[in-house]
Amino acid sequence: MDSTTNMKDIEWARINKDVLGSLETPRITFWIVLAVCSVLVLCGVAAEVYQYNHGLGVALMDRPHFWQLYISNFIFWIGMSHSGTLLSAVLLLTKADWRKPIYRFAEAMTLFSILTAAFFPVIHLGRVWNLYWVLPYPDERGIWPNFRSPLLWDASAIFTYATSSALFLYIGMIPDLAICRDNARGWRKPLYTLMSLGWMGRAREWIAFRKTYVLMGCFLVPLAVSVHSIVASDFAMSIVPDWHITSFPPYFVAGALYSGCAAIITLFVMLRYIFKFEAYMTIDILEKVAKLTFAIAMVWNYLNLSEYASIWYSNDMYEHEVLIQKFIGPYWPVVWGMLLCSTVAPFAMAFKKFRQNLWGMFFLSLVIQLGMWLERFQIVSPSLASNHEPWTWAVVWPGLIQLTITAASFGWFTMLFLIFCKVFPSVSMYEVKELVFHHRRVSARNEIEDLNKEKDDMIRAQEGLA
Amino acid sequence: MRRRKMSVLFALYDDFDKARDVVADLKILDMKELVVEDIELYSPIEHPEVEEILGDISPPIQRFTFFGAITGAICAFLLVAAAAQSMFTVQPQGGKPVIPLPTDLVVTYEGTILFGVWITLLGFLIYSGMPRRRLKKFYSHKVSEDQIGVEVLMKPDNVEKVRETLLSSGALEIREV
Repeated sequence: MDSTTNMKDIEWARINKDVLGSLETPRITFWIVLAVCSVLVLCGVAAEVYQYNHGLGVALMDRPHFWQLYISNFIFWIGMSHSGTLLSAVLLLTKADWRKPIYRFAEAMTLFSILTAAFFPVIHLGRVWNLYWVLPYPDERGIWPNFRSPLLWDASAIFTYATSSALFLYIGMIPDLAICRDNARGWRKPLYTLMSLGWMGRAREWIAFRKTYVLMGCFLVPLAVSVHSIVASDFAMSIVPDWHITSFPPYFVAGALYSGCAAIITLFVMLRYIFKFEAYMTIDILEKVAKLTFAIAMVWNYLNLSEYASIWYSNDMYEHEVLIQKFIGPYWPVVWGMLLCSTVAPFAMAFKKFRQNLWGMFFLSLVIQLGMWLERFQIVSPSLASNHEPWTWAVVWPGLIQLTITAASFGWFTMLFLIFCKVFPSVSMYEVKELVFHHRRVSARNEIEDLNKEKDDMIRAQEGLA
Repeated sequence: MRRRKMSVLFALYDDFDKARDVVADLKILDMKELVVEDIELYSPIEHPEVEEILGDISPPIQRFTFFGAITGAICAFLLVAAAAQSMFTVQPQGGKPVIPLPTDLVVTYEGTILFGVWITLLGFLIYSGMPRRRLKKFYSHKVSEDQIGVEVLMKPDNVEKVRETLLSSGALEIREV
């Protein structure tokens, strides 16, 4: 079954069986990937413990510029979190049917990306025991945190986004949790019973559910946009050359959507293979996601070019210097690598044949994500290396500790995501059933119309003969 | 006066159209002989057209959303404004306003959404009658799989009439409580 148009042939009972089966028997690849991710996480924990004991100097944070890979990773993971909930909410509000088989894992991706991102400011702090300073309460001298600081806005935005995304994911899962409850045995039974809240599929429940889901979707669209705009404000509100740009918030949002869409493609192919979801995660849907990614890639490229243009024509010597240094200075491999991976490579998606190639798209999505990760790095480090103050001019490359913690973050995200997919249904059963139901209705209506047309033609032909 | 005991019949159908037809038949029967107290439909998916047959059962959750959003905005703004006001004697403002609206609006915006989402959830739980500790006795797992359930609440005297109507529309199974 390679197209959504064939979904009408899937029986509802089979949908339950397939998706519930995915909770029990994934391919062996699942366990291999999970084991690799767990090892990465352990390495990351060891690196963090080492950094905690020896200070931030081991992460090369004793140089004049202090925002390095941890902040790049923070932006990368926040960006990754964007597409899941935002696209799910937008496609829900616009009633795009093709979101139904893929929105659940995309929303889960959002949640786990935020959880991963939230680690980095803490790791970057060094003094992790002072983390509570960002909480909104006064210290012993009666001084509150400074709410005018974008860092405080960040904390409030990320908290709101994480909470709302988790609720959006959970609410959307309730009918499926009831299905799991009705079929589960062992330790799963009490878990699903508790989480399904006694859902029975009553008409009143469905109507309240749909209304709530749409209302939450309405909140999540502006919220998602605000989160990355605020992350952009961390940079744009400063006076560092190449950061103090008004187009930074939309540029960040477009970049976040872009990397998020690429991540959806990666996970789409991974889940389809590991959990044998060929009937639901169809090539047709992959092609639609690819088209969307391509469109967002073009928006991101436009904003990137407009940023270069506004710096070039601003006639500001500091800004000029940073821009020139980006392309021919010590960080040139990062910048050119980004352009190659995120500007040139996505043009492959202009070709239908490529968009329909599962493993080609998987590889491209990884390349795009690499490009977007480099993009985050080239936003943070080159600007600080050519700052206003000559004494801060230091070219710093990430060291072993930073790289280990970075690799561990990928392991952590993938590990959480895989565990989620093993415990909770990663394809929305009730929404796929709705999709099947509507496809059947439409095809039945079309058949009746065709029959009526044939009948009319025959009557007309008979009248003509008469 | 002691409330008279009610009976419940729960019928399962393999098709939504059949369930819809039986609800229409029961409504007609009720208009003639007043046999039905309440009807509820159970389904594995949402059927928006269900309101046409069961009447307007749409809950006003948007009022919760509105209330939550307004409350969130006020609380968040008061938090940041009061925090700034409380410490303007200890922290010099350097000529800047004590309560700067543009920066405070960011936190207010986030507060609006945070409270809006939570109170919407509360509205959902209230109107859908959840969380529920126990499922109804007649609940069938088939309803979460591929069948449509029709629950009819009636006086015990009318059970046979309703059962007949449910069977005549092709019920696969009928449970009585």
